[in-house]
Amino acid sequence: MLSITRRSALGLMGATAGSLIMPRMAFSQGKRPSVTIAVQKITNNNTLDIWNEQSNVGERVFFPNFWEGLILRDWMGSQGPVPGLATEWKRIDDKTLELKLRQGVKFHNGDELTSDDVVFSFSAQRLFGDTQPAGGKTIFADEHKPTTAKELPASVPGIGRRLWPALAGVEAVDKYTVRFHNATPDVTLEGRLYAFGSQIANRRAWDEAATYADWARKPVTTGPYMVGEYKPDVSLTLVAFDEYWGGRPPLEEIRFVEVPEVSSRVNGLLSGEYDFACDLPPDQIGAVRAASGFEVQGSTILNHRISVFNVQNPVLADPLVRRAMTHSIDRQAIVDALWAGQTVIPDGLQFSSYGDMFIKDWKAPEYNPQLAQDLLKQAGYKGDPIPFRLLNNYYTNQTANGQVMVEMWKQVGLNVQIEMKENWGQIHDPSGVKGVRDWSASANINDPVTPMVAQFGPNSEVQQKKDWTNAEANELSVVLETSTDPALRKKAFARMLEICEREDPVYQVLHQNAVFTGMKSSLKWKAAPAFAMDFRASNWTM
Amino acid sequence: MIRFVLTRLLRAVMTIFAVVTFAFVVLRMSGDPAQVMLGPDVPQDAVDAFRKAWGLDQPLWVQYLAYIKSIFSGDFGVSMRDKVSALQLVLERIPATLQLTLPALLLKLLIGIPAGVYAALHRQSFADRGVILLAIFGFTIPSFVMGLLLVLIFSVILGVLPSGGQDTWMHSILPTITMSIGGIGILARFSRSAMIEVMGQPYIRTASAKGLKWSDVVWGHALPNAAVPIVTIVGFMVGSLIAGAVVVESIFSWPGIGRLLVVSVTNRDLAVVQCILLMIAATMVISNLVVDLLYGWLDPRLRAQTAH
Repeated sequence: MLSITRRSALGLMGATAGSLIMPRMAFSQGKRPSVTIAVQKITNNNTLDIWNEQSNVGERVFFPNFWEGLILRDWMGSQGPVPGLATEWKRIDDKTLELKLRQGVKFHNGDELTSDDVVFSFSAQRLFGDTQPAGGKTIFADEHKPTTAKELPASVPGIGRRLWPALAGVEAVDKYTVRFHNATPDVTLEGRLYAFGSQIANRRAWDEAATYADWARKPVTTGPYMVGEYKPDVSLTLVAFDEYWGGRPPLEEIRFVEVPEVSSRVNGLLSGEYDFACDLPPDQIGAVRAASGFEVQGSTILNHRISVFNVQNPVLADPLVRRAMTHSIDRQAIVDALWAGQTVIPDGLQFSSYGDMFIKDWKAPEYNPQLAQDLLKQAGYKGDPIPFRLLNNYYTNQTANGQVMVEMWKQVGLNVQIEMKENWGQIHDPSGVKGVRDWSASANINDPVTPMVAQFGPNSEVQQKKDWTNAEANELSVVLETSTDPALRKKAFARMLEICEREDPVYQVLHQNAVFTGMKSSLKWKAAPAFAMDFRASNWTM
Repeated sequence: MIRFVLTRLLRAVMTIFAVVTFAFVVLRMSGDPAQVMLGPDVPQDAVDAFRKAWGLDQPLWVQYLAYIKSIFSGDFGVSMRDKVSALQLVLERIPATLQLTLPALLLKLLIGIPAGVYAALHRQSFADRGVILLAIFGFTIPSFVMGLLLVLIFSVILGVLPSGGQDTWMHSILPTITMSIGGIGILARFSRSAMIEVMGQPYIRTASAKGLKWSDVVWGHALPNAAVPIVTIVGFMVGSLIAGAVVVESIFSWPGIGRLLVVSVTNRDLAVVQCILLMIAATMVISNLVVDLLYGWLDPRLRAQTAH
């Protein structure tokens, strides 16, 4: 016969309660949730190398979960700098920046981060190839050609020099101290350190990889998540790195799956297969919001949609015609009709994240059809056709936006003709007559050197392809890049805006770009004002 | 017969050669691969370096001769995106595509032909009209509409099947059905027409009049004679086993040859596109060759014509 005493009964009840509670406690400390994110594209170049995959889609899978720099971007806040793999930094002089590395940071392979990894990350072997800083020999002399599998892709050094045109080298002062030496004075060195590309890679992992392709499919970094499995064009699984210096990551796995069709992404979200559906066009927002248990998060990002003029075109050689084109566009009507009012018209080619460098009284060209007609009359415009090379929705709403602009131009008497193109090669094809084309401009660092100097300065693609040039703007670009006087730099930037948007327009701003993500409402997560998706502990509540 | 086979083999080789040349020229005339691959924001130095590294700065005829020389030695080139052999990339994707196209082909054959034959044998009946209606429905609805409709019903509303991906065998159900519906409709329609035509022939009346069982008349005399147009259609379907999944693979995020082709064309990954087109052309040509040979086997009159 079973005898139960008060003591044994209490013990049994305690054991029962324990057996019920303990596994849950263990669960909460061990097993974490995983998320599946449907994206239009994981990467464009099928690599996870920050210098090879300089794209919006790359930003999403890289930051801030995988790649980390000495200085990090404040993705969920001001977009400004915050300490990262470096805890502090100071200027030695106009050309030199010294940084103290965070101690105890581990790479995914267990190595400790040291100055050696930083030097390697900005070395000729990893980034610059045989290029030299500004003032040295021409970037990429004709003899450059990959000879071994480990050699960098031919495009990487050129891209590296775009962000670091005058970086002479990185010096390892001691195990935890590095100095960046620039060939010219540069007030934006700190900004360049948290821009896309300046993140730190593990040296040993590079040395151990048989080929560049092998390394680029699974780079070893310090981020909170590491590469679990990467199937190019199919999926990328990032898994938690529990030795992360910033604390245990809140998710077990982040799985990005490539779903090229927007309707398939939305359907997969609504059927519960995906937790997030990215790259939603504005016309899909209503459908997701209308479904119970789902929401859409999104905001403007540090990227403006613009259109660019080619002054080789005899009609567009006259700045009055270009000015007329900028005053013919009702930007607010486009934002209301195509973006459901979900984005804004910027104050010219600048961003509020510039801080003190922001020109407060500058605006986008006003919509004034009468002024546009007067300008065309002054220019003696006779209705000659202006070609508009247009891609089919490379940018969100691009085709519809192009069609609307052509009709607006037509209203003031401009004869702009759309030529649909399939790719950027056709857009830039030097044969035939160019006219207008679409583009976008990003603020990679919180300073007017991006995008103004990077995209329209003397070494920009626009000038290399002979779309446009302006001697005064080029001189001002040098001031912006090398001067350390804030007042002089701000004055130079203001004057560049006048030249590039009014006097001798090279582009016109249209609207700020925005990104929208559908998600399950039950997830306690916030979207950043960027393509980047933050899955660190600070942005995920259980 | 040998002359018949050799003539068709020669034609097949010439067709493949024409496809390869056409693809080579068109791909290079329709946009600079360096600019496409690197995107709109890279400096001109990077674009120039890329062109040089991949030999795109050479005259077109030099590139073409080098390409022809390499494919004759079994080298199909290297992917500009993945830096691995184009042939390896293509071969890796073929099983995924066949995972959809083979069951889809089987469904087409097992449902389409019997449905068409049944409708022909029960002409003007309710079943006949039903088959015609479903067949028209099947081949007139584009696969991207059908795919999305099936996803809406079975994934979003009922929640019983996954909407995309390749994780489990369940993921292949909707894309396989989507791929097969159009083909079922086409085969049903052709089988019905062919059977109706044959059933009106004097030799069918003769066979019936001499007391053969109805099933023997249908299986022994009608169906073999109706098979020639059906085999032609099936030949096209077999030929497109590799190429036929472009739209469906995109809708269902299925990592097969179709997706690879779309991505490679978009990125102007020349070696991969050329390798896929070469493979598709070869499959189609071989399929047509087999169909030609089957004609001779199915219809002795064709053999006799060739012999003379």
